[in-house]
Amino acid sequence: MGCKTNNPAVWRFTRRFIVLSLLYAVFSVLSTYGLLRWHSTGIVIWLLAVLPAIPIAMAVLLTGRYMREEKDDFQSAVLVQSLLGGIGATLVVTTVWGFLENYAHFRRLDILMLWPLYLVFVGISYGIVKARYR
Amino acid sequence: MECTTKDSADRRYSYRVLVAMTLYLVFLVPDVWIFRHYHPAAGLTWLLAILPALPIIGVLAATGLYLAEVKDEFRRAIMVQSMLWSIGATLAVTTVWGFLESFAQVRHIEWIWVFPVFCFFVPISSALVRWKYR
Repeated sequence: MGCKTNNPAVWRFTRRFIVLSLLYAVFSVLSTYGLLRWHSTGIVIWLLAVLPAIPIAMAVLLTGRYMREEKDDFQSAVLVQSLLGGIGATLVVTTVWGFLENYAHFRRLDILMLWPLYLVFVGISYGIVKARYR
Repeated sequence: MECTTKDSADRRYSYRVLVAMTLYLVFLVPDVWIFRHYHPAAGLTWLLAILPALPIIGVLAATGLYLAEVKDEFRRAIMVQSMLWSIGATLAVTTVWGFLESFAQVRHIEWIWVFPVFCFFVPISSALVRWKYR
């Protein structure tokens, strides 16, 4: 099975996902800068904190949209299994690390790491699911 | 749309999730107690940290089995969308909190809370998705 695809739904998803990832990066930098430099108070703090979460929520909505647009049942099934794998791995790792962090004095990890961690696990999961059906 | 169902896949899913969640609590409570009172050795620390994560794998396995067993495409779509919305909400909330924690001195949330937050969003997402299709 090749890595390249002519599937228009996949291309649309990939293009939109890249745009949202860039938006996430831009908003994260903007929020960090704003929260560090402007000494914001009240509602402004919340607005700046919410900003990077918008592309994340949109990326999840985008995944749902892709699943509706995807005509190929196999591709859809692969994506669903990859997402489940990604969710499962993220929840397992956070639970184990949470205990180690709380009671074994492991390094305190920022909860901001959750989104990148989830993406990594979905990617790994996608590779494993694809390999399984090869 | 009816809220109650006699579909055997739904019943099996409910039973499996109930067993997994019960096991989660059964492992969680003594784990916390042992960690707080006995300061276990390194090997045991890992074992105790991994223990509550095992039922989480069970919950995700139950979801995967449900998606494989359920005959109704509509129910399958509702489950997938509910999981997607839940992880989306969890990631969005943790990102907002992460920024507030890093820059606005909000209380640190341990990674151990990610799974309960996800579980909190699952029924809400499920209800919203069902309401959307009403």
